[in-house]
Amino acid sequence: MMSGSNAKGSFPSRVSEWISSTYRFATDRNDFRRNLLVNLGLFAAGVWVARNLSDFDLMSPQPVT
Amino acid sequence: MMGSVLAAPPPPAASPAPLLPRGFGLLLFPPPPATGSRPQREAKNVLPNPGEFEQCHQKCKEVFPTQVNGVRLVLNKTLSKHFQVNHSLQLSSTEDSGYKFGTMFVGSGQAGPAEFYPVLVGDVDGSGSLNAQVIHQVTDRIRSKVAFQTHQQTFVTWKADAEFRGEDFTAAVAFTNPDVLDDSGVVVTHYLQSVTPTLAMGGQLVYQRRPGDEATFMSLVGRYTGSNFVGALTLGWAGVQASYYHRASDQLQLGVELEAGSFWQDSSVTFGYQLDVPKASLQFKGVISSNWVVGATLEKKLLPLPLSLVLCSFLNHQKNKFHCGFGVMIR
Repeated sequence: MMSGSNAKGSFPSRVSEWISSTYRFATDRNDFRRNLLVNLGLFAAGVWVARNLSDFDLMSPQPVT
Repeated sequence: MMGSVLAAPPPPAASPAPLLPRGFGLLLFPPPPATGSRPQREAKNVLPNPGEFEQCHQKCKEVFPTQVNGVRLVLNKTLSKHFQVNHSLQLSSTEDSGYKFGTMFVGSGQAGPAEFYPVLVGDVDGSGSLNAQVIHQVTDRIRSKVAFQTHQQTFVTWKADAEFRGEDFTAAVAFTNPDVLDDSGVVVTHYLQSVTPTLAMGGQLVYQRRPGDEATFMSLVGRYTGSNFVGALTLGWAGVQASYYHRASDQLQLGVELEAGSFWQDSSVTFGYQLDVPKASLQFKGVISSNWVVGATLEKKLLPLPLSLVLCSFLNHQKNKFHCGFGVMIR
């Protein structure tokens, strides 16, 4: 019981630690290779977004609700 | 600046053809191979001219908004179908404020649908600093350009270049700040070859010489053009530049750019988009970059008045800086 509650209690802390470490990794600008890796991922994500935004029409009639 | 209504010179009302000199127009997608009376075998072997070397990443850069700081007022006056003048007044707390007078002369020679020659462009500010360019089509395939830039009474930049356009390649050489007495200068050579109707590859060689020092830089470039997208990549000793342009629809264009420099050990990604609503005479551009910069510009033609309104704002979260600008262009 105690080990199970400890496991449950530590799970949110591990998630928050993982999120914090990911944020530090993504925003650390002191390492050029790390920055380049993150920016390569951002570039790939930007290309994916650009290629999949095709159904965009500002002048289309609004749906009747 | 090429995509900005504020920067683009408007065509004169009396001219039957658009007054857009060569070098001020947009890069067009390569035309499809000719068909019809030509034999199929010959049509497959025809490669289009790849265009200019500097235009490889231009399609993507034109999507990004141009930052306008302070207040800018631009008045364009077309005096004839060959000559127009413009008055520009800028008031800003972050940049130099002042007045500029500019002129543009376009000759009668025509090299293409929207390419006229010779073209003389120049502007001078209140302190006497001059920017001038002369673009001339020497022959059907050779184009030359001479540019000067002065800061008051001192020449800052003087440059001459020549470009040769072959059937399926473009070669250019440029001399920047050549000084025989000081034994210094910069020589830049470009070569761009169409490998397939959609793929172009080329290179650039830069030779820089100063008293007691000389250096050479080389970079390679590749550009792939699809039906509605353009991808380009530049690899060099100084860094890497990759860009992707996508025309999602008639209204929406997107651009993504990656720049990584080995000199400054830094890299950045910029994502931008451009929304065109011709029915509303409106153009909106937005950008977000990995340097925590978010910006946008709104350009609106106030029809039927000959006015264009530009609103701009840029926010740098990292440096906690905010810049906004307002501009009016009178045609």
